[in-house]
Amino acid sequence: MSNAVIEMNNVVKNFGRKRVLNGENLSVQQGETFAYLGRNGAGKTTSIKMLLGLLKPDSGTVRVLGLDPAVSPLEVRRRVGYVAEDQAMFGWMRVQQIISFVAPFYPTWDQKWAAELTSRFELPLKTKIKHLSKGQGVRLALLLALAHRPELVILDDPTLGLDPIMRKEFLRDLVGYLQGEKVTVFFSSHLLYEVEPVADVVAILDHGRIVRQDSTENLRERVKRFILSASAENAASKLPGLLDINRSGRQISIVVEDAQPAIAALQREQIPFDEIALNLDEIFEAYVIGRKEPANAEPPLERVA
Amino acid sequence: MRSLLWKEWHEQSWKLAFGSLILGAFALIGLHARVVADELLLQWVCFLAVALLPVLASTGLVPAERDDGTLESLLSLPIAPWRVFAVKSAMGVVLTAGPIFIAAIVSLVFAGGREMPGAAMAGLYVRTLAAALSLFFWMYALTVRLPTETRASLIAMAVLLMWLLIALGLTQAAEHTVWHPSVEITVPAPSPLWVICPFVFLIPPKNIGPTLMLGAVFIQAMIAALLLVWASRRFARPAVSEGL
Repeated sequence: MSNAVIEMNNVVKNFGRKRVLNGENLSVQQGETFAYLGRNGAGKTTSIKMLLGLLKPDSGTVRVLGLDPAVSPLEVRRRVGYVAEDQAMFGWMRVQQIISFVAPFYPTWDQKWAAELTSRFELPLKTKIKHLSKGQGVRLALLLALAHRPELVILDDPTLGLDPIMRKEFLRDLVGYLQGEKVTVFFSSHLLYEVEPVADVVAILDHGRIVRQDSTENLRERVKRFILSASAENAASKLPGLLDINRSGRQISIVVEDAQPAIAALQREQIPFDEIALNLDEIFEAYVIGRKEPANAEPPLERVA
Repeated sequence: MRSLLWKEWHEQSWKLAFGSLILGAFALIGLHARVVADELLLQWVCFLAVALLPVLASTGLVPAERDDGTLESLLSLPIAPWRVFAVKSAMGVVLTAGPIFIAAIVSLVFAGGREMPGAAMAGLYVRTLAAALSLFFWMYALTVRLPTETRASLIAMAVLLMWLLIALGLTQAAEHTVWHPSVEITVPAPSPLWVICPFVFLIPPKNIGPTLMLGAVFIQAMIAALLLVWASRRFARPAVSEGL
């Protein structure tokens, strides 16, 4: 039996003539911290709105915690904590007031836990929301998403607009919470370095489709860059799982989605190569803006796409 | 639901106070100064109410919240959109009716029975309330998906102007005369088409028969119900012209 908390199968969503999701498939297992990566406008927020029942798919199926959000949106939202991208809150309310306002909507709201989070996030209860700093605003949104002890937390680019220090602080709080609770987290972002330390599984969304979903470890282990002599360009362009190829003077740099078959092929062809490990940022880049044809331009390792 | 009512009250109560202050003060100062006859002054108060309150009430409820981005936050909570809509609609009715009620109390206490019988004065305010609510429902329904309060205000004013022009057209069609202050005119029976116009309620009872008035009440109630149903279906959708 599947232990999936989120399942999306062949989900298609159009806005007018624009197809935003084009047969999206993904599966998030219980307890995972799932990083959902995509460029701005890739369809991340649209997918998240479907998970919450705020939008309905044109075709395909969506299940969250075993429920169809289009049919039972309130039940789903009661069990999910959600921090929206650049979340707008009622500026005139004080921190204490918004906590009191939101609490009655959730039957499982834990007042003690909310108080503990308020203190942990150093939120001034009597300050109006419009007077909070951006970082405090995000922490408050996180508090409101966590205080009802949700089974699933959905974070839609929550650190958008924060400076690097604030982003680190937010992630520290998030990781602190995750260490204490076995909650499933669906974390959408376009900042790869921020999800890398916390993600168990990564899905890369490009043009409305998941182009890769794998564990962070597998991705780092399998997706590799190889530096080869430019004379091996023809052989390199035929390598299995080629994601990206760039020429730099007398060398070419390639990225493949699975290193082992590529290494085997290079060894078979007796092509010497240097293997370079990639971080998540570089892997993401290879998937979404990688090119499979070598660039003709001469500048070293400069992408022409 | 209590939480939602509390939020709406906190957001909108200043408008209730503002509308009540404007109308109440206008009625009180005008009735105290006695520059014009009480009936004429109260007609001005009522016209101000009809022109001001529906615009004030309708544009601040949904478009203002879309503008702030808080409507999306509200709708992502585990609460049925129809409840949010119902609370906002009820608040709109309170914002429209409240200041008229205050002005009516002020007028009745200060000048009831002085020149106008109290019942006639109360009747004028009841008819004003009916006209203002009819306009409110039009404006509310037509602005519910607009992304900004400014655009909503423009549309609301266009609605007001449209019905004023229709009312003028109906008046001309019915009377075929040009009104002048120095000319005593005989007012003929209004056209039955008046029943579709929110301003039908402002026609003095002596000029409109009970059948036409009952017909107007029924038709306006039906129109209001249809507009509310239409608005409720569009309320939770993204604003028109909103990007992805």
